[in-house]
Amino acid sequence: MAEDLVLDTAIRDWVLIPLSVVMVLIGILRYFVSKLMRSSTQPDPKIIKEGQVIIRARNLRAGANYIPAKSFRARKVYYSNEENGLLHVPKGQAQNPQAQMFSDPNMAMDMMKKNLSMIIPQTLTFAWVNFFFSGFVAAKIPFPLTQRFRTMLQNGIDLSTVDVSYVSSRSWYFLNLFGLRGLFSLILGEENATDDTQRMMQMSGFGFDPSKSLGAEKDGLDIIQHDWALPKFEQRAEAVLRKLVK
Amino acid sequence: MVTRTEEEEVNRLENQVENGGGGAWEYLCLVHKLKLRRSDLVLKHGLSILNDSKKRSALGPEEWTLYEQVAVAAMDCQSLDVAKDCIKVLQKKFPGSKRVGRLEAMLLEARGLWSEAENAYSSLLEENPFDQVVHKRRAAMAKAQGNTSAAIDWLNKYLDLFMADHEAWRELAEIYVSLQMYKQSAFCYEELILSQPTVPLYHLAYADVLYTLGGLENLQMAKKYYASTIDLTGGKSTRALFGICLCTSAIAQLSKGRSKEDKESSELQSLSAMALEKDYKQRAPSNLSVLSSTLRSLKI
Repeated sequence: MAEDLVLDTAIRDWVLIPLSVVMVLIGILRYFVSKLMRSSTQPDPKIIKEGQVIIRARNLRAGANYIPAKSFRARKVYYSNEENGLLHVPKGQAQNPQAQMFSDPNMAMDMMKKNLSMIIPQTLTFAWVNFFFSGFVAAKIPFPLTQRFRTMLQNGIDLSTVDVSYVSSRSWYFLNLFGLRGLFSLILGEENATDDTQRMMQMSGFGFDPSKSLGAEKDGLDIIQHDWALPKFEQRAEAVLRKLVK
Repeated sequence: MVTRTEEEEVNRLENQVENGGGGAWEYLCLVHKLKLRRSDLVLKHGLSILNDSKKRSALGPEEWTLYEQVAVAAMDCQSLDVAKDCIKVLQKKFPGSKRVGRLEAMLLEARGLWSEAENAYSSLLEENPFDQVVHKRRAAMAKAQGNTSAAIDWLNKYLDLFMADHEAWRELAEIYVSLQMYKQSAFCYEELILSQPTVPLYHLAYADVLYTLGGLENLQMAKKYYASTIDLTGGKSTRALFGICLCTSAIAQLSKGRSKEDKESSELQSLSAMALEKDYKQRAPSNLSVLSSTLRSLKI
């Protein structure tokens, strides 16, 4: 075990605290910039309608047994007939999201804006941290940790002899980057937090295709068997009343 | 839908607030959340908070939603000056906001300036064609003017896009009933039952419509839906009990002599008659004789 390193208090004053403050300030700045750049997008009526159709069809599937057979059949035809049913997607018309993106420059533009507001400040701060604070120990956490944490806490220091509880400045940057989410949601309000991790998730999940869920809903409707539940209710009502009269 | 615990909570808070026990803000929040229409109380207590600058600033950003809530309540109570003041404050705070624009249009509507309100709503819709509230206000305005066919048009247009909105379906169903267009209304009630299969209200209303439509098949269906209402309410719906009695005797009249199901169904009828009698004995003993003569005229 290496003997204890003594950290200069100037490091605390000139590295640790400034780094955190700068991260917070950049987060807030980024929030306002992205707010400025955000263009209010008009939702596509087709997409809204598709969403609503799906909800309604799902309701039909779930509650089919509560309406008479005639009404159910009429609705089923209305949703899933091959000519102009609401759930019917003509072949070939189903756009794949990639093509959709290229056909609609606004969408690509929006994505770009979102990405730019995320990537530019991140690269800049990373370069800044790298340039000024690379390769020295900025803090020490008050408890020992195992060797596995070395890559997390001592990014930028390639020394295996330093105790793992010392945090390098670059790692402090990363810890701030991902750990300040709670603070942002406190400062900027619940939903406004610039949430990097969530945004990354969104990006990977991009490419949801509504026509596919329409088709799935149609298949679900096609296989459903209508079994009117109401005749059973007469007996149940009798039982209820019998109990009540007694 | 408002559940029973929520209703109890509201009533408890309302009592407390009315008797000066505090908790006005919690009450207003709850009313807002459950979308209840207690405009007079909201107006009274909301104003008392808004007029007290200390209480008002304690709300933080919620202050503005309270202004909005009070403005709408004031319009409902025809205290248009109060509504105007609230809207002015909001206008100052959020110039050019569409949400405030909506309130202004509603104020015009409350004043009865129909064409101006209509213009305001259409310009709002031009900016954002998917504003559900504005669409609904338009239909409501047509209804308020007594122009039911226009209201139906607006609602149909709205439902063509937002077809999962059960409130609109319900409004449409009720308008159709008022115009005696029972088949259309039955369709709307089916839609409502589909979206919320466990709400007895829709089963009951659907049964009423089917009974009114008449015909053996519809009557039998109506009876089944009355039965499901009884099941869902635990036999507490007097209307459904009467409905069973009426349906059964109407079915018996229509299918004289050739029905085989009568025996099992008469059981339900006699049971509901008994339940009715019991209910009347408990709650309205003076009307018991009327009930028994009515039931007798139905040959029960």
